[in-house]
Amino acid sequence: MNGPDFVRLIQAIHTAMEAAQTELNALDSELGDGDHGGALATAFADAAEKAAALTNPTPSTVLAVTAQSLLNRMGGASGALYGTLFLRMSASCKDRTELTLADWQAALQAGLEGVQARGKAAPGDKTLVDALAPAVAAVSTSDTLGGAFAAAAAAAQAGADQTAEMVAKFGRAKFVGERARGHVDAGARSMAVLFAALHRYQEDEDGKT
Amino acid sequence: MSVRKKKLLNQRSMILREMLQGLVSAYPDVVRLTDDGLIVRAQPKAPGKVGLVIGNGSGHEPAMIGFVGSGLFDVNVPGEIFTAPGPDRIVAGIKAADRGTGVLLCVSHHAGDLMNAEMALELCQMESGINVEMVVLYDDISSAPKGSEPERRGTAGLFFVWKMLGAYAETGASLTECKRLAEHIRDNTRTLALALTSAASPVTDEVMFELPDDEMEIGMGVHGEVGIGRHKLLSADATIDLMLPRLLEDLPFNAGDEVLVLLNNSGSMTLMELYILHRRVAQRLTEAGVHRYKSWIGPYATTQEMAGFALSLCRIDDHMKQLWDAPCNGAFLKGV
Repeated sequence: MNGPDFVRLIQAIHTAMEAAQTELNALDSELGDGDHGGALATAFADAAEKAAALTNPTPSTVLAVTAQSLLNRMGGASGALYGTLFLRMSASCKDRTELTLADWQAALQAGLEGVQARGKAAPGDKTLVDALAPAVAAVSTSDTLGGAFAAAAAAAQAGADQTAEMVAKFGRAKFVGERARGHVDAGARSMAVLFAALHRYQEDEDGKT
Repeated sequence: MSVRKKKLLNQRSMILREMLQGLVSAYPDVVRLTDDGLIVRAQPKAPGKVGLVIGNGSGHEPAMIGFVGSGLFDVNVPGEIFTAPGPDRIVAGIKAADRGTGVLLCVSHHAGDLMNAEMALELCQMESGINVEMVVLYDDISSAPKGSEPERRGTAGLFFVWKMLGAYAETGASLTECKRLAEHIRDNTRTLALALTSAASPVTDEVMFELPDDEMEIGMGVHGEVGIGRHKLLSADATIDLMLPRLLEDLPFNAGDEVLVLLNNSGSMTLMELYILHRRVAQRLTEAGVHRYKSWIGPYATTQEMAGFALSLCRIDDHMKQLWDAPCNGAFLKGV
């Protein structure tokens, strides 16, 4: 996957976030202030625009401008965590013009480690880590990008679904205690939307060849 | 449950910008709005003194835009409604606050505020030339148990830090001294809040939580997170009788201690109710042998139209009294 591919990928994620906006806002309003979907849609719109404006995009520079949009247009805890994911992925593939499956595995692993270091959350704490960690693990279960992203998308969604059974240990949701049970974490669900978009993008690419 | 969703606004996406423009149009002698959306002092602090900066989600006015001015903050970085600003904006705030001897970045402890502040600090450390320290502040006893104080949230009681730290930085105190004082005030401040009705996000119109008409909730944070308990509605005196002992035990505040008292209006409490509540606070403190130096009653950190209040106590010494009584001039905090 090369730089121009990454520009199209970010556009695809933006489209997916726009489509999921209402659902994500509704999930966030159960335990937060109801703006998670809107904030992500706005940030990815900004990222898609800035990525498209890059003169010689590389995977790393596209991921870096996306991180900047997430950090500075989204703000809050979600912006910091999403931004850190993309920032660490960008740093891990700085010298690459094209990402192989092995590069993707390394980048996602670096991203996950960055997110956990920033937010201090572990799997089971009812955060986006509950979707991200299984997705990153699943990327290693296939030897094609298409297979890896399909597995990651399924694992992210399964992980997000499981957050409904959890009590939050971080963020605003922490303060509703047991009342958090029964509600899917908005951040975990948006992470599943992101991996689903990645999967669909790769399916479309594979269909072209 | 009645929540006032009716609001006089223009475009939702313009709430933050228009609010800041309105603030500086009213107080041009106190504050200025920069092109990158920072609220800064109209007359910068003298060179050689420590700069004070804080970022926060908006929607809690007058916090923190109303506390920028002489004897207070140098710069506020207001984020979108209930959303901490991102790291680049905080870095811009730190640079704007630097008067050559370092900057103290204050963080009211919430997940988003802390993560973005940490990233801003890392960015500053990569650039040379800015001497910046961070202090994480918290006061709400309902958000984590005693012994886990650093996990507690920052709420209305941090008002004591803003006022006294602002005065201390004006005296020419060093960055290390400023940080130590902020920690000292934090470690002597305790807050417990109560909500009667919820509030709605001005952006999404989402009501933050549901609370039945005949109930109140003790331990509400500034964002509407649920606190330690729901109770049937009590009288003003019985409410204070329930809340004050928990505050006194937590520090603990002992007979002979001297304290500042804040009764903070969360949004739509009446001053009448707050005076009645304060009457009981004063009685109970006298009974406990705790001396009140001064009391503050009013809306210093709000959550939109939420009906409720926060009761905060801060144990003080003679040095802190001097700082408390020092002059200041913010849009929402004049003199003392």
